[in-house]
Amino acid sequence: MDDSVIKVENLVKYFDGRCVLDGINLNVPRGCIYGLLGRNGSGKTTTVRILLGLDSPTRGQTFLLDTKSTNLSAKVHGRIGYTAEGHNLIQNYKVSRLIKLCKDLSLQWNDEFFSHLIETFRLPADRRVRELSIGMRAQLNLSLAMAIDPELLILDDPTLGLDTVARRQFLELAIELIQQQGKTILFCSHILSDVERIADRIGILAAGKLVVDCPLEELKKRVKKLRVIFPESAPANLYLTEIINQQIQGREMVITVANWNQQKQTVLETFKPSSCTEIPMSLEDIFIECTKPNPVPDTDG
Amino acid sequence: MFTLIKREIQDHLVYFLGAAILSAILITLLVSAMYHTEAGDSPVFIGLSIPVIVVLIIGCTAMGVSQMYTDRSRKISTFLSSLLVTRGRILIARIITGTLAILTVLLPLTITGMVLWRLFAPPIPIYSGLIFDIFVVTFLMGFACYCLGLQTSWTSSRITPTLGGLVLTCILVPLILVKGFGLHIKVILVLFIVASLIRTWQRFKTTAL
Repeated sequence: MDDSVIKVENLVKYFDGRCVLDGINLNVPRGCIYGLLGRNGSGKTTTVRILLGLDSPTRGQTFLLDTKSTNLSAKVHGRIGYTAEGHNLIQNYKVSRLIKLCKDLSLQWNDEFFSHLIETFRLPADRRVRELSIGMRAQLNLSLAMAIDPELLILDDPTLGLDTVARRQFLELAIELIQQQGKTILFCSHILSDVERIADRIGILAAGKLVVDCPLEELKKRVKKLRVIFPESAPANLYLTEIINQQIQGREMVITVANWNQQKQTVLETFKPSSCTEIPMSLEDIFIECTKPNPVPDTDG
Repeated sequence: MFTLIKREIQDHLVYFLGAAILSAILITLLVSAMYHTEAGDSPVFIGLSIPVIVVLIIGCTAMGVSQMYTDRSRKISTFLSSLLVTRGRILIARIITGTLAILTVLLPLTITGMVLWRLFAPPIPIYSGLIFDIFVVTFLMGFACYCLGLQTSWTSSRITPTLGGLVLTCILVPLILVKGFGLHIKVILVLFIVASLIRTWQRFKTTAL
């Protein structure tokens, strides 16, 4: 048995005949902070819901803490903290009642940490959940998920609706949690700066496929964006493997290539370019390149 | 499990209050009828039992509908499923709560009935066990309606559970009037309950939350 806390094997999901997830494979090892990125509707939430057994896959299987998602026991659920997209809390409950319910339905409850969170976020215990702002609901959801001292924390767009200060507070708390040994976090978001700050491994979902799955630093090294100028018009038959994006304008060609190496450099040089300069890329640039709606198909065959 | 049952009771407290009030009214009427009519005066008791059955059917169906419909609309199970809970436990806690609500109406009524029967009914062997039969059939009928409510309301449509409740009312009332409280009706109701619970369980366990 390997040390994967989250395992996804060939996951396929169709909604009304539309393919949302198309053969996803994913392994998140223990202690990893995995940032799952993707545009709206790319399948992040669907993946999380299938992982938690809230929805069923069309094909493939998923595992959480060595248990198949469709057979998660109450005890396994008790080891997982989860904040849902949109913060699905029981709206008509008072905050205090919701806290009591979560406390009663948990394997362990870190009272000290929870009080610290409630104090930090200044959450009113006497108000109903529906009377809270979206930001406060997000904070409450997060506090409840963190208070159970989870082995695995699944955060589905947790900072959605939070202002800059609250987002910063959240990230600091997440980092505090990360520093405790053995915690694994799956962090789904489209706020790249948040993910960049805490994640050590990145996955990018685009058009139902996991187009990127590697450590953050490696991703930045592997994906290169090059501006190539040719003496005459740029060649249309530049067959490089793993081209993510390609734009041609007269003599200039801008290409984004995955896994740039010496071999690809040699192929490019056979076309005798006048100049070839690297354009620096942030995570946001890489994300945009990877999730563009009509990327150039892989020329590998 | 206890926490889940407590949560269900608190969320549907109005049904328990309604059940207690209905039970108190019925006990008052029963005692009053016993003191002011001849023992075993059938028209009085039949006249009393028909509206009781109708109210019970509507109340039980409404409770099942309310439990499932509020769950669906407020995404309660979605939230609970992220805690130390499985869907199976949520449904079991819900069914236990429904059963308790039905017993809140029937148990005090049955106990009062038994006491009054001992005091007023003639010592004829045919009457022994009749109160128990009435209790069992009424309970099964209420529970069948409750199960129907659970089953039909796991949907976003309000029409299906309402129509389902009406149809069952139309079938059960004449059936009880024709068949009485005997074995036949018990078997029919038990079969209906089992089928309904299996379907509810299967839908609740497999539907996306």
